[in-house]
Amino acid sequence: MRMYLLMILLTTSLFLIARETRSQELDKVIISLNVKDATLKQVFNKIEKQTVFHFSYLTDDIRQVKTITYNKEKISLGTALGELLENTGLSYEQVEKNILIKKKGETIAIITDNTDNAAGTIRGKITDTEGKALNGATVLVKGTQIGTSTNEQGNFVLSNVPDGNITLLISAVGYTAREMAVAVSADRTASIDIKLTVETQGLGEVVVIAYGSATKRTTTGAVQTINAKELQDIPVPQITQKLQGRLAGVQINQVTGKPGQGMQVRIRGQASILAGSDPLYVVDGFPIVGNINNINPDEIETISVLKDAASTSLYGSRAANGVVLITTKMGKSGQTNIGVNAFYGVQQVPQKGRPEMMNGQEFAQFKKESFEDLGLPVPATFQNPAQYGEGYNWYDGMLQSAPIQNYSISINTSRDRFSTSAVASYFNQDGVLRNSDFRRFSIRLNSEYKVSDKIKAGFNAAPSHSIDNTPSSDGAFYASFIDPSAGGILNNSLLVWPILPYKNSDGSLPLTAFIPGVSAFATPNYYRALNEVTNETKTTRLLSNAYVEYTPIKGLSLKTTINADIGNSAFLNFKPSTASVTFVAPPPSPATSIRRNDHFYSWLNENLVTYRKSHGVHNFEVLGGFTTQKFRSEAEQLRLTDFPDDRIRTIQSAVNIDRTQSFSDIQEWSLTSFIARINYDYAGKYLFTAAIRRDGSSRFGADNRWGNFPSVSVGWLVSDENFMASINSVSLLKLRASYGVIGNNNIGNYTQYATVNTTTNAIFGSAIAPGASVVTLGNSDLGWETTKQLDIGLDLGLFKNRINVAYDFYTKKTTNLLYNVAVPQESGFTNFNGNIGELKFWGHEFTVSSKNLTGGFKWSTDFNISFSDNKVVKLSEGVDRLYGGFGAFQTITMVGQRIGQFWGLIHEGVYVDQGDFDKSPKATASQVGTAKYRDANGDGKITYGGDNDDRTFIGNPFPKFIYGITNTFSFKNFDLSIVGSGSHGNDVAIMTDQGATNLDGVFNVLRDVKDRWRSPSNPGKGRYGKTTSATFMERDWFSTRFVSKGNFFTIKNVTLGYEVPLKQNKYVRNVRVYGSVQQAYIFTNYRGVNPEVSTAANGTTGSTLNLGMDWGTYPVPRTVTFGVNVGL
Amino acid sequence: MIGFSSCKKDFLDIPSETNLTSATFFKTQADFEKAVNGAYAPLRTLYNNPAGNNSSAFFMGEMHSDNTYYVLNPNFRATIDQEQIADFIYDPASVIAANKYTTNYLVISRANQVLALIDGVDFDAAVKSNLKGQALFLRAFSYFELVQFFGKVPLHLTPVSSFAEAALPLSSVDSIFNQIIADASQAASLLPNKSVQQPGRATSGAAKTLLGNVYMVSKKYALAETVLKEIISSGQYSLISNYAAVFNPANKNNNESVFEVQYKEGNDGFASNFINPFLPQPISATEVAALFTANGVNPANVQALSVEGYNIPTPDLIAAYEAGDQRKDASIGYVTAGGKTYPFIKKYLHPHAQFGITNDNWPVYRYAEVLLLLAEALNEQGKSTETLTYLNQVRARAGLGNITSTGGLKDVIMNERRVELAFENKRWLDLVRTGTAVNIITAYGQRVKANPAAYYYPAGFAPVPASFTDIQLTFPLPASEALLNPYF
Repeated sequence: MRMYLLMILLTTSLFLIARETRSQELDKVIISLNVKDATLKQVFNKIEKQTVFHFSYLTDDIRQVKTITYNKEKISLGTALGELLENTGLSYEQVEKNILIKKKGETIAIITDNTDNAAGTIRGKITDTEGKALNGATVLVKGTQIGTSTNEQGNFVLSNVPDGNITLLISAVGYTAREMAVAVSADRTASIDIKLTVETQGLGEVVVIAYGSATKRTTTGAVQTINAKELQDIPVPQITQKLQGRLAGVQINQVTGKPGQGMQVRIRGQASILAGSDPLYVVDGFPIVGNINNINPDEIETISVLKDAASTSLYGSRAANGVVLITTKMGKSGQTNIGVNAFYGVQQVPQKGRPEMMNGQEFAQFKKESFEDLGLPVPATFQNPAQYGEGYNWYDGMLQSAPIQNYSISINTSRDRFSTSAVASYFNQDGVLRNSDFRRFSIRLNSEYKVSDKIKAGFNAAPSHSIDNTPSSDGAFYASFIDPSAGGILNNSLLVWPILPYKNSDGSLPLTAFIPGVSAFATPNYYRALNEVTNETKTTRLLSNAYVEYTPIKGLSLKTTINADIGNSAFLNFKPSTASVTFVAPPPSPATSIRRNDHFYSWLNENLVTYRKSHGVHNFEVLGGFTTQKFRSEAEQLRLTDFPDDRIRTIQSAVNIDRTQSFSDIQEWSLTSFIARINYDYAGKYLFTAAIRRDGSSRFGADNRWGNFPSVSVGWLVSDENFMASINSVSLLKLRASYGVIGNNNIGNYTQYATVNTTTNAIFGSAIAPGASVVTLGNSDLGWETTKQLDIGLDLGLFKNRINVAYDFYTKKTTNLLYNVAVPQESGFTNFNGNIGELKFWGHEFTVSSKNLTGGFKWSTDFNISFSDNKVVKLSEGVDRLYGGFGAFQTITMVGQRIGQFWGLIHEGVYVDQGDFDKSPKATASQVGTAKYRDANGDGKITYGGDNDDRTFIGNPFPKFIYGITNTFSFKNFDLSIVGSGSHGNDVAIMTDQGATNLDGVFNVLRDVKDRWRSPSNPGKGRYGKTTSATFMERDWFSTRFVSKGNFFTIKNVTLGYEVPLKQNKYVRNVRVYGSVQQAYIFTNYRGVNPEVSTAANGTTGSTLNLGMDWGTYPVPRTVTFGVNVGL
Repeated sequence: MIGFSSCKKDFLDIPSETNLTSATFFKTQADFEKAVNGAYAPLRTLYNNPAGNNSSAFFMGEMHSDNTYYVLNPNFRATIDQEQIADFIYDPASVIAANKYTTNYLVISRANQVLALIDGVDFDAAVKSNLKGQALFLRAFSYFELVQFFGKVPLHLTPVSSFAEAALPLSSVDSIFNQIIADASQAASLLPNKSVQQPGRATSGAAKTLLGNVYMVSKKYALAETVLKEIISSGQYSLISNYAAVFNPANKNNNESVFEVQYKEGNDGFASNFINPFLPQPISATEVAALFTANGVNPANVQALSVEGYNIPTPDLIAAYEAGDQRKDASIGYVTAGGKTYPFIKKYLHPHAQFGITNDNWPVYRYAEVLLLLAEALNEQGKSTETLTYLNQVRARAGLGNITSTGGLKDVIMNERRVELAFENKRWLDLVRTGTAVNIITAYGQRVKANPAAYYYPAGFAPVPASFTDIQLTFPLPASEALLNPYF
């Protein structure tokens, strides 16, 4: 696979060195030339026919020249060339029988060397601009398979080159390549020494694709590749976080700010009801299981996102959500490089977005008024609100400013037959929420050894260890009722009465935060819970692979790879007797603990055959392969209760084991696959690819075990056609189309089986009698979810590729939707796992890259925008809707509508007075002063619940479009980049309002609740009703009052860098320092904390059926960092 | 390396190591024993579901009557479902009614699994009869609950194994009753007597009591008399002299117990917790501790309770006890919560080690009820004298004098049932069975609305206007099921 990477094409200047010139001879050669609207290339062809001379030039240099009309009889070649090249910025130079066309002022020369060259041989040396030899650079005759690579001295010899005009393609990893037209014949062979410069402008031309790589020019799929180098200054721990705003059609949301966590990636609006919507991550060819949080971004060379079916179909039953290919760094040709990168920063939660709760005085006033409105005596606590002043801001108390730091050292070397790349890093992020942090130690060692010219072997190993300490911050204030390991501390912190301290004036911490007899709920001190509860996961992971590649004959490669991913994680939750995260369970209560260990391994064996062959203008590449993968995980959890002493946390010190939450779990799956692909192109102009994968999976039902996933794609490089040659402004125009079938197999490992639960025990007297029950319905026909995708795309390069535009239209149809169809529970079961229903997705994606200024002051802009939408075409027989969300806060997925729409009432204010009340539709419990809703079903009354109530569509969690913009500037030694990303048209449901606008007076509330209805003469602003009765309708009935527009544009990152000028020395090659602001500013009207949010009520990342719900999450901080990169 | 792993079929066959699959189960006697045990398990949730606060048994049987009410907590309003049951507001979306419905069907589906396959496996005939009898009893018991609370329901008699079989049309009430009678009769003949059955399992006596109850509801009094008398003549049962001792976990499955739902104290998920939801709330930890200590109960880790108090005895019920009735003090106590005194159900307050983890079983059928059902069956047939024999046995144990007059016996029996079986989820179904539900509850509702404070409403609060306005004899079929069953 590394061989393909060598074909990476870059652009740079090229130097040819001449031994001597005899331009005067050109004046003696007389030609006649009569051309109309001809390209320079056509003109040169005509001259070559009349003379012995041949032209050599850089293809890009002459492509920009406008068409020529020239009519002269019997003119000297010298004069003609002078006139032809006038105002083109080009000049000519004669080297024996070669005429070299070059940009004015450039040093270009050719050394002719006929002495020992056999016919059809080109030799030369390739160096970098400083004259250092480049090992492994590729020289290829365009349109053929004739090519070679340079040796350690940078020399190459190309033999068997056909006579005539050919185009050489010279390239090297990390350097730019160009096409050079040269002439070959027995008397005209040449040595060409070429200098390549390091590419700084991005690896835009490289495309890593499934099981290989290709040039951007010849790919036919919708693929976008990013060089990790562009992302290196962004101070975040996860690679996906760095990609925000960079990729068209890829929505990357930071749904929670927990250190090292919380990224949600959705490619092309992908959504599956049950089967998961996360893309497949493939690291160095290895489809990995689970997340990529443990992978250090510093180890990554490139990231490719495969979006259409043609690009992804080689991943078959796992490809429907798109594929992210990650390539790690390999040893580079040339000298040994040592790089040291370090940054240090400080994170803070911006004031904007923090919830505006009542302060002490406002809250006491609110309580006082509530008692007055009830006609009850005001308790002494609230009689004098002014005494409390600001009170205690619990939310702010939870937060801190926190350091973030990263140190990494890398060594790259390539000597003799051995090349290696090593990266070691330490990342440490303290959280902006107290007592939270994420640390990661990681090493990667990638090595390759050339056993012989035909055999190559490689070994990569990447051990990592991370420690993730995260409080149970996210989720509803009652999250721990839903899930005992959840907490909802942040939501809870909003709700504590601000007249009560989280910290006493003497620095001690109270156990609880309630006033007996006055407070409604016995509330723990969450500040104490935050600081004292341990919630830590330690993960050790080893990702490794080994391969052997054998090239028995030219063009044929056989490769076998073994990949292994072995991981271990240990989770420890310990809650001392003094802390509680549960809102009605105040301490002291006996200490409890959860210990969980997960071990997993995944191995993959791949055997691939690739054969490349060119015959004239016909170029083929054929790939065939057989792969086998297996995964197994084992987990054990123990929940221990009643520790006698908070300081001893061992299992044996716990008095009890809570059997209901202690268990083992084993998960296993296997996958056997065959893959095949054929690429064909005609003269590099007409491109065709067909691919197929056949997957057999243990997850599918025995009667439906094997699936085929075919795809085809075509491309047409219109700009290579002769009729386009005269349109000089267009440097690239490619049309492409693809269609394919891909699958989604995220259905759980044993879903096909009817399982017998052996823990449905009974009690008789005082004896436990073991019980067993069939608890799920089996389905031996269960299969993967099928997605058929059509993609039509266009790539356009203008003005010598100064402006590049890409456009894609796609439409996807997902059928055999995997979901556990709810069945009536009269059956004894709750659901049936079936392949039922159909979803439709479609969208448009635009990417524009522009080099706005290219002089001393450089400015380039990359912009992308993507529009997407979806529709539910069909659900199971007789079912027109699915509900999601939590409790009464539901989303609906209804046939004919979008997926996961918010489903609630339309809030129309409050019943202002008796007259309003009498003439308006009402709910059973409505009163004057309570919330007024729209009678959506027109039955004259307000109902909530069931299928025929007054709920309707009140919000859409899917953005209409998402966009990103990156501006890069450089001037002299300074560089500046600004990355922004945005989303438009989506809604967010602020579920924290359930507590934070609770009118019962049991919680602290949003400041604007003070403008509520108190009497017909004091009706408030119509948003909140009275505190005295039937408040549940306002609080527990989902309505438009909870829904906020989710539009935002975030300046994700601003980085200013400075390359320190250094005197030439043998110790330090370069030093760059930079300052960076991450999450610099959010432009949004969203009144919650984080507009990218999406969580379930228990604080986990929301599934497709509860997207866009904000149950209270860890805030995303603004981070200011300073960093340095040193090259040795 | 090529061919490192072969593509054998078994490479792709990976059954779960943590769960058995149905293909490998139901092969041996032990499998069927476990499957029958599994069918009992959902009963625990039906009667005690502290997690969801929606134990449908007491909400629908007791609080949905004039026996108990709730203490409205203005500070905690996520309790509409619970309140609506007591206020006779019928919401098809009620999770409590849905809990009753789905839990009963869970028992039925597990029983069906056993009954469909047990005859195909050869093992000890006595064991097989016993297991079949238990499965039939549980199925009959569950359908009896369903038909009484919901009326027409789907009649599943074989296990569902595919999507298509999941939903069935509603069966008529008559056909459901016929099936219950057939199952309970067969169970009565297959099951052993209490003395030889493992305590807690269904017995011949339990099946006969169920059958007697079914006949009473069907107004087949002669048949009821016959089967109930068989229980008495079996000699397996007697009244325990001390009424309070009947409910003490120290006396689980005692001589008076015909069928009770079994719980076990501890952290392994089998414990009950009736007492805490039955306390008026909010109540401070100090107040709970004071109550517990006064009753000799000293669990560790007593905490405040702050949701809402349920199943609080109404003044109507308290007034129903005659002077000198020992059952009153055994059943009802008083507690201070938030500084205010309320009655509460004392029947289920017993010593336990950890707060919220109790050892109490729930009585479903007791011998006292057998006697009262028989008395009622006899009285309905005009056999008043014989009626008194059985009625007075129950009264005597309660420390009350004999009834001698045969006038108005029907009402006397009903009141006797009300106090003897108070807080055992009998009241609502008794009102329906005797045709008195609408009148009695309408009058009761008027009393609640006229004097909310007497029904524990805090000052400033009153029942919602819709309460008690439309008394229905069955609950609507759960909306969640109606959505999925095309026949509803």
